[in-house]
Amino acid sequence: MSSTSQKHKDFVAEPMGEKPVMALAGIGEVLGKRLEEKGFDKAYVVLGQFLVLKKEEELFRDWLKDTCGANAKQQERRRTSSP
Amino acid sequence: DAPPQSKCCKKQQYSNCKTNSLQILSQTWRLKDPAHLSKARLKSDLVAHNVALPPAASKKEVYVELHLRNIEQKNAAEFSSDDEEQTQEEAVSPSENPCFENGRNEDPEVTQVPDPSKLTDECLKAALLKHGVKAGPIVASTRALYEKKLRKLLLHSNGDGELNGAEKAELYSDSEEEQEEEEEPDEESVSEEEQQKPKETKKIQSENNKLPQEKVKNILKEALPETKTTTTRIYATPRRPIKGAAQRPIQYSLPHTLVSPVTLERREVERRLVSIHIQILFFVFVACIIFFIYVNVQDSTVLALLDSLSHCFDKEGGTLLLPETEDTQALYEQD
Repeated sequence: MSSTSQKHKDFVAEPMGEKPVMALAGIGEVLGKRLEEKGFDKAYVVLGQFLVLKKEEELFRDWLKDTCGANAKQQERRRTSSP
Repeated sequence: DAPPQSKCCKKQQYSNCKTNSLQILSQTWRLKDPAHLSKARLKSDLVAHNVALPPAASKKEVYVELHLRNIEQKNAAEFSSDDEEQTQEEAVSPSENPCFENGRNEDPEVTQVPDPSKLTDECLKAALLKHGVKAGPIVASTRALYEKKLRKLLLHSNGDGELNGAEKAELYSDSEEEQEEEEEPDEESVSEEEQQKPKETKKIQSENNKLPQEKVKNILKEALPETKTTTTRIYATPRRPIKGAAQRPIQYSLPHTLVSPVTLERREVERRLVSIHIQILFFVFVACIIFFIYVNVQDSTVLALLDSLSHCFDKEGGTLLLPETEDTQALYEQD
């Protein structure tokens, strides 16, 4: 795995609680807005989606691509953000 | 979202109509009228069938509509009028499933349902299972993904079917790898996926390695028929190495284990039931007892016993004991 960013470190340092989806590593303003429009306004909702997909990386990756148009690296960061 | 949903649901209705007669449908409509059910019952039915609930404040009519649309498809499959039986019979066996239309299709070429978007949630799940993919819950957010996945699987399965007939060599090449990679997501956890990847690659590699190894062996056998071939290494030396020459010391046959004979004996002894230490102790103990008996006891009864024993030995032919018995007798006579 490539080195994690500061944003990633900040996210995994504590329980995500009510953190907004833009706190996820790899999700900036643009992607965050797209996710919020779809209804994924909090980080835990994205976690929920990952769990509903039975923690399958490939499916989650596809879902992220479809939902907010993120590229592969951003998706990877998001996946590793969630424990 | 309501209008597209209703269109989608109507499509599903029509596709099922093809398989089941209209009469049956109308019968089920008449038999089971959701309007008779309570709002709470309708709600629970909808949830059980994975239908998105309308907003909480909506009227009963909305629930009835949704109920009619979504649940009647399952009623058409098995036309029982009992509500409870219907909810219990959600787990439909494949033979009764309206998803699989093999026997009723007019077109013999179409064995699978072609368009994933027209399938119901359950049909989609069943179709994915047929391709070896164990899908998670098919909810609003996951449905699109699983449809895409099914499309991909259908394409691959059709493509591979053409390839298999062509050349056998291609089985070992990328097409097989792709198929196996496709089947990876049917594992439930990520860690299991990662474990399966090396296993599958190993499978492919072993299959690939078999062929070249056999080829190499055959070539060598042809070239050098006198050399020995082992499974691990293939020797191809034309001449035997000179013993005793540079850095090839003569090795006399040694035992495989580099262990001294003493330890071997010890191991032999140790294999007995009782350990060697206990045996030694017991021997020393018994020897001490005999010694004490011989030295301390002065009674005539024991001497008589000893004499009788010595006489027995004499009868058997032990001549050495005679002078001893005579000496002892002489000693006691002196006392």
